[in-house]
Amino acid sequence: MNRRIKKVAVLGSGVMGSRIACHFANIGIEVLLLDIAPRELLPQEEAKGLTLESAVVRNRIVNNSLDTALKTNPSPIYSKRYVKRIRTGNFEDDMSAIATCDWVIEVVVERLDIKKSVFEQIEQHRRTGTLITSNTSGIPIHLMTEGRSDDFKAHFCGTHFFNPPRYLELLEIIPTAHTKPEVIDFLMHFGDNMLGKTVVLCKDTPAFIGNRVGVYSMLALTHLVEQMGLSVEEVDKYTGPAMGHPKSATFRTADVVGLDTLVNVAQGLTENVPNDEAKAVFQLPSYINKMVEKKWLGEKSKQGFYKKVKDDKGNSVILVLDLKTLEYREQEKVKSETLEATKPVEDIRKRMKVYEQGTDKAGILFRAMHYPLFEYVSHRVPEITDDFYRIDDAMRAGFGWELGPFEVWDALGVRETIEKIQKEEKGLPGQQGEVAQWVHDMLEAGHDSFYKVQDGVRHYYDIASKSYKPMPGAENLIVLDHIRDTKTIWKNSGVTITDLGDGIVNCEFHTKMNTIGGDVIQGVNKAIDLAEKEYRGLVITNDGKNFSAGANIGMIFMMAVEQDYDELNMAVRMFQNTAMRIRYSSIPVVVAPFQLTLGGGCEFSMHADFVQLHAETYMGLVEFGVGVIPGGGGSKEFALRASDEYKPDQIVQNTLKERFLTIGQAKVSTSAVEAAELGYLREGKYAITMNRKRLLADAKAKALELANAGYIQPAPRTDIKVLGNQGLGIVYVGASSMREGNYISDHDKKISEKLGWVMCGGNLSEPTEVSEQYLLDMERKAFLELCAERKTLERIQHMLTKGKPLRN
Amino acid sequence: MEAYIIAGYRTAVGKAPRGGFRFMRADDLAATVIKHLVTTMPQLDVTKIDDVIVGNAMPEAEQGLNVGRLISLMGLDTDKVPGVTVNRYCASGLETIATATAKIKSGMADCIVAGGVEVMSGMPFGGWKIVPNPVVAKHHPDWYWGMGLTAEAVAKEYHVSREDQDAFALRSHQKAIAAIKNGHLKDGVVPITVTENYLKDNKIATREYIVDTDEGPRADSSAEVLAKLKPVFATGGCITAGNSSQTSDGAAFVMVVSEKMLKELDVKPIARLVSYAVAGVPPRIMGIGPISAIPKALEMAGLQTEDIDLIELNEAFASQSLAVIRELGLDERKVNVNGGAIALGHPLGCTGAKLTVQILNELKRREKKYGMVTMCVGTGQGAAGIFEMLD
Repeated sequence: MNRRIKKVAVLGSGVMGSRIACHFANIGIEVLLLDIAPRELLPQEEAKGLTLESAVVRNRIVNNSLDTALKTNPSPIYSKRYVKRIRTGNFEDDMSAIATCDWVIEVVVERLDIKKSVFEQIEQHRRTGTLITSNTSGIPIHLMTEGRSDDFKAHFCGTHFFNPPRYLELLEIIPTAHTKPEVIDFLMHFGDNMLGKTVVLCKDTPAFIGNRVGVYSMLALTHLVEQMGLSVEEVDKYTGPAMGHPKSATFRTADVVGLDTLVNVAQGLTENVPNDEAKAVFQLPSYINKMVEKKWLGEKSKQGFYKKVKDDKGNSVILVLDLKTLEYREQEKVKSETLEATKPVEDIRKRMKVYEQGTDKAGILFRAMHYPLFEYVSHRVPEITDDFYRIDDAMRAGFGWELGPFEVWDALGVRETIEKIQKEEKGLPGQQGEVAQWVHDMLEAGHDSFYKVQDGVRHYYDIASKSYKPMPGAENLIVLDHIRDTKTIWKNSGVTITDLGDGIVNCEFHTKMNTIGGDVIQGVNKAIDLAEKEYRGLVITNDGKNFSAGANIGMIFMMAVEQDYDELNMAVRMFQNTAMRIRYSSIPVVVAPFQLTLGGGCEFSMHADFVQLHAETYMGLVEFGVGVIPGGGGSKEFALRASDEYKPDQIVQNTLKERFLTIGQAKVSTSAVEAAELGYLREGKYAITMNRKRLLADAKAKALELANAGYIQPAPRTDIKVLGNQGLGIVYVGASSMREGNYISDHDKKISEKLGWVMCGGNLSEPTEVSEQYLLDMERKAFLELCAERKTLERIQHMLTKGKPLRN
Repeated sequence: MEAYIIAGYRTAVGKAPRGGFRFMRADDLAATVIKHLVTTMPQLDVTKIDDVIVGNAMPEAEQGLNVGRLISLMGLDTDKVPGVTVNRYCASGLETIATATAKIKSGMADCIVAGGVEVMSGMPFGGWKIVPNPVVAKHHPDWYWGMGLTAEAVAKEYHVSREDQDAFALRSHQKAIAAIKNGHLKDGVVPITVTENYLKDNKIATREYIVDTDEGPRADSSAEVLAKLKPVFATGGCITAGNSSQTSDGAAFVMVVSEKMLKELDVKPIARLVSYAVAGVPPRIMGIGPISAIPKALEMAGLQTEDIDLIELNEAFASQSLAVIRELGLDERKVNVNGGAIALGHPLGCTGAKLTVQILNELKRREKKYGMVTMCVGTGQGAAGIFEMLD
């Protein structure tokens, strides 16, 4: 029988527990979140005459934890409405309710005795066949089931979520010898498809994969820092995005995570990995020990490697810890020739190579970090996993590395790097200069990389068979990076059009921030032309960090400054026509946005036949920020959607107002679900993909489905009801009131009135049905008028130079 | 000819939108007060009532469809007495008493029930459908502004500080709390039995409770708490939820009769409305309305400010109340002796009538002669009525 999850119990409501509960609520699952009942009353509870038996007191701990989690930013929950899916309770009164749950996730404190006693209670109430998993980062999973029944053991394993579970992609699954294969398969599949995680199957070894390698890498670096006498800001500059690591790099990350957490894992490892050749790396350098003694743990204790203070003028200044003196001082500018050399290299693999050749401190650090890391991870196979790619998966998903260690190694060249590893000075404990035999075997067998792409599918080197095998599940994914070389059918500077097979093509943007300028417009039109002539459907998506930051405002700025209004009019008209073609073409067009999808990116999405979007999509019409109204069909589209919401005798002004304010306040969704709530998506015309990697495949499947269903080109609308004078009054009053209340500037007021004018269809005497083109013409006229305003130009210039909106 | 007030009753004022009257309908609330009013006068043949005049500031939805007529039907148990709804926003409840007085004085009627009702719970500010004239809105958007913005404008133009406003608000609460304690706000209050059907274990259950005390005043209000509140109408502004009137639910009605009816009923009059004046001011600073209305009413009555023993100045906002007090040099010891709308609430269309009931009872307790009810009115108006106690 197929296993289904309708309801989960999360036991323990701490930082992880409450956030895990939220993420299950995010995907539509009912959650029972339990924690202990308090043993003592708070003074304020006593004052109110409450007792330990009062219901509010009994659930105080769990309710407080959940409230705290819900208040964090970014939010653990997709929509406030989903909070209702979480029911809270306590272990004493509500444990029996786990009998109604299909999966029990234990997230109590990291103590084996406590976990075991919780499992004993679970066993008393659970139904046979219910899944039980433990979220632990350090306790061996197999020790937990002592004394439990066979059925319990068969359905038990470790599930290691990383904080914050909504946003961090890694989920480690750690089965025991008793876990049924069906249970492992189910969790792997569920974690990937439903929770949207990169699921990494781990052996039950200390700290599993992510933390074993991640903490090794971090601590190795702390020793190197001491040896090389590097400063905190140098390290964070060298080990950040330039190296393919997150912006928070090394020490800033440590501050966010908390030094105590790092130290706990490191200490656990020191004790539990007696045979690790590099175990001495897990010994903390003295400066970290001292920091822990002083309780400088990072953000949670307000100071760590960095400390935020106010200067004489009251401005916030971030000081940095001098690792030698352990005093905070002002940050110094970090300069590095190597980093300068890596800057123009966009391709991460090529950049790694440039970085490796650096001759300054950055280059030295790169080699001193990576060579022992390659050596270390090669020896972890088969100790922590039989398949090296899982280490790469864990490091990318859990630590935000662009490439895992084996991928970097591939980029540098496996064979030549081995020689360098042998020659490199051995600065770190355990560093022998010798990589594991299986790597030599691989090279000897004539295979000179860990991965390779064949026919658009990624393969990995399988150690056992000494041959390449497709990545598990890769046949279900489409990765543009893997097919671009062979499947490109057209390209220009901003767009590549690829054949996805089955009659579906993809139009990919690859401009900076994926902004939409002339080349992208040309590309999208070309894609539609091609698809209409020779194919059956079109997908618009890309492999970038963000779907699109919007129109290329630099181009608009140039034309506006030169008062080239005819040219600008043409450009805006072209943009509008392109958006309209996305909707009104003879083939289905599926737009698949993810992450930032702003302005023009949002307008393209709104004109799609169907939007297949990633759960983490931050969508919005933010044109007010640059002093204009949405001019690529966004204003028209919101008027159209408001019109579709009007019902007879309804107070239509309120509907219009809500639509108006969404643009007027430049509201950006914090999730795909919120994008729907804000009206950027249309009911029945969108679907959410949880796992980013699956987005393109899902979008293609949707395009195919629409084509197979017999796609009929829709006719442009001529029945959009605009309110005219019945709506204009409230626009003027609203704008004036916001101005008087100092919520907006004079220029904002002007933009608001223009938007209102467009959305009302002008000062028509009575509500009137108008066409899309009528509204597009109005929208374009207002857009051009605003581009002639000095304050609009100032806003655009500010955005171009400072990257954030100016409120003038 | 003279017109006499012979009785007056009100409900306690409920907090909107979550107070004891939160699901009471305006028609039910008003009808209950009128029913009580006529039961206190058993010698009156209700069909002799010439009209029921109901003040209401938002006559739409539950309060729509000429709610005045419906209230007459519901409250008097006869179809012979007509009913009308009158709207002068926050002065509606006083306007109706003035209309009744004028009609009786001119011989057009002998007996009128006049007052007002407002249930603000569940009613959006400005009403359900706001459709300003776009041409007017373009050139005079302040004619349509929310009242909070006008209060900000008054604070700015009349230099009323946030500290003074908060101190004024605190005094309002303190006076109201003391008045409730001393029973000074009890007189004329009709206890209302509310029946509530609610969901209990997925079934409809019923309970009853009585509302007989004004719900607004806070004993725990303090200068610190008020100072912490954020401005709600403007960034960097000074008008907060703490120094503005509360939104409320309530009803109040008086009976105004002619000399002839006075004799027929054989009752003693309580008071008479000596004068009533309304005045126009710039809508953007509507809060100063009383500054123009009060002198007109005084002049009409042939009285000086000093002659007035008690003043009920509706506290729409502390900023406008202070501007009015300072500008006219009103004696603060005579103003809102039992607290004002900041503490006790402001059920818009009911307020004028409710303040009338309160001031007549307070004048009686203090054995004083003249009282004035005054308020600012939205879109730039003021109203003031002067009452004289009769013995």
